[in-house]
Amino acid sequence: MRPAFLAACGLILAFLLTPVLIVICFALNPEPFIAFPPSGISLRWFGKFFTSRDFMAAFWLSLGLGLATVVIAGLIGTLAAIALSRGRFPGRAVLVQLFLSPIVLPSILTGFALFQLAMVAGLGRNLGILLAGHLVVATPYVLRTVLAMLAQSDRALEEAARNLGATPARAFREVTLPLIRPGVMAGMLFAFIVSFDQFPVSLFLVSPGQETLPIAMFNYLRFDFDGTIAAASCVSILLAVILVIGIERMIGLQEYTRL
Amino acid sequence: MPQSEPGTTSGLTAAVMLAPAGLLFLLFFAIPFGVMAMMSLLTANPLVQPNAGFTLQHYERIAGDIFYAEVLWQTLRLGLLTTVLSLLLGYPLAFLIARARRPLTRTLLLMAVIAPMVMGLVVRTYAWLGMFSNTGVINGTLMKLGIIAEPLAILGSEAAVVVALCHIYVPFMILTLTGVIARIDPKLEEAARGMGASRIRAFLEVTLPLSAPGILAGALLVFALAISAYVTPIVIGGYEILTLPMLIFQQVSSSFNLGFAGALGVVLLIVALVLVWAYGRAMRRVAEGAV
Repeated sequence: MRPAFLAACGLILAFLLTPVLIVICFALNPEPFIAFPPSGISLRWFGKFFTSRDFMAAFWLSLGLGLATVVIAGLIGTLAAIALSRGRFPGRAVLVQLFLSPIVLPSILTGFALFQLAMVAGLGRNLGILLAGHLVVATPYVLRTVLAMLAQSDRALEEAARNLGATPARAFREVTLPLIRPGVMAGMLFAFIVSFDQFPVSLFLVSPGQETLPIAMFNYLRFDFDGTIAAASCVSILLAVILVIGIERMIGLQEYTRL
Repeated sequence: MPQSEPGTTSGLTAAVMLAPAGLLFLLFFAIPFGVMAMMSLLTANPLVQPNAGFTLQHYERIAGDIFYAEVLWQTLRLGLLTTVLSLLLGYPLAFLIARARRPLTRTLLLMAVIAPMVMGLVVRTYAWLGMFSNTGVINGTLMKLGIIAEPLAILGSEAAVVVALCHIYVPFMILTLTGVIARIDPKLEEAARGMGASRIRAFLEVTLPLSAPGILAGALLVFALAISAYVTPIVIGGYEILTLPMLIFQQVSSSFNLGFAGALGVVLLIVALVLVWAYGRAMRRVAEGAV
């Protein structure tokens, strides 16, 4: 490939990755506002983030919400994927389309529609409706990866187990489940990212005083530009890097992009 | 289930397994959108005021005021500019990833694309705020070098919002394009070159047309995401640039007009549904046209 083309690609990569460096730079810069070039190195903003009661409450809420989303979405998404891939009933294609639609449908609309339901039905905003919103946008990611794994896995193996006398449940547990496990795990990792970083759905559904981390960061960002937000961002970047490496280990990024 | 074939699940078992997801989507996806559409056509909440009646007043208000047309245009314009920029920046990188020979190169490039994607909207928007603000990276560097005396007003401009939005959504473009380009046989391009076509001509007449469905799918996806952006236009655009999602949130948070906000939501939903439908069609063409 030509040097000019490679140079252009290098510039585009720099465009993608420079913001990450900027965030790290501002997190370590001791100045109490956005200032470049940095005047030194300090960990004061990390200290402020980890001792801020509001940020910590938001962090734990996001973490708890993310874990609850992962467990529930992982379970119902996997069950639905198995039924949709192995079951024989009419309207399967339509159901798959419906279950996957929150991936491409702007989630600000999903959040807003749930907000309308909560208001009209007089439910108000609470943790239950927030979790429901996160489940709706996260479950499709589990469903998608598991469906893809089931499509790839060899059904003949399951049939062989059945022919050798295994019950359908046992054939599934001992043959199919181990085959789709990487897909389930990767789907759950993505469900976690979707929930932990969720902004549009949470925007409409968080109740005052019970904010998730992205919402707390956004509210902070409207009035204050100090490095606390950069420190919070670094924590979230670190989590992202761990998850990306996790997905690479689990199914390989190439597999993921093919899904 | 002795009568069921190996490897298939009986209807009853399938129904039981589908029930939790089905219930979730019925209660918290289908019904909410129904409520939104219903509220946009009613004068009041029927559960509170039983005499609430059918009305088109919310839609008439949108159609009657040029302001809403301008906001819709601004929203679509941002989406369009973001899509074009994402395509220009995304295609070369997608091409490089799809044609990379060593698996390690591929994986590292993919990591570079996916890592910013999982960083979160607010984090990336903050990064661009740090880049564009009056004391940020661009202005700070230019002033330090003595090129400018006063900071450039980058924040609040449409260009700044488009660049930030492009950074946030270009990974979706790259991932879509990578999959499509990887399916195009490089031998086709080599054959064209073997018959005397220049490198550029071979690309323009062979690879580019073959990747058209992927370009369309990626563009529609980025467009749908960009028109529903909320954080970035607010933080980078500083309320100078008003978009439909901002207007919807404003309606529910300050005016608390559920009916009117619902009508605005339906307008955005219709635009989004057309895009999603077109995206689905484009992706099917990708799958069918696999070389």
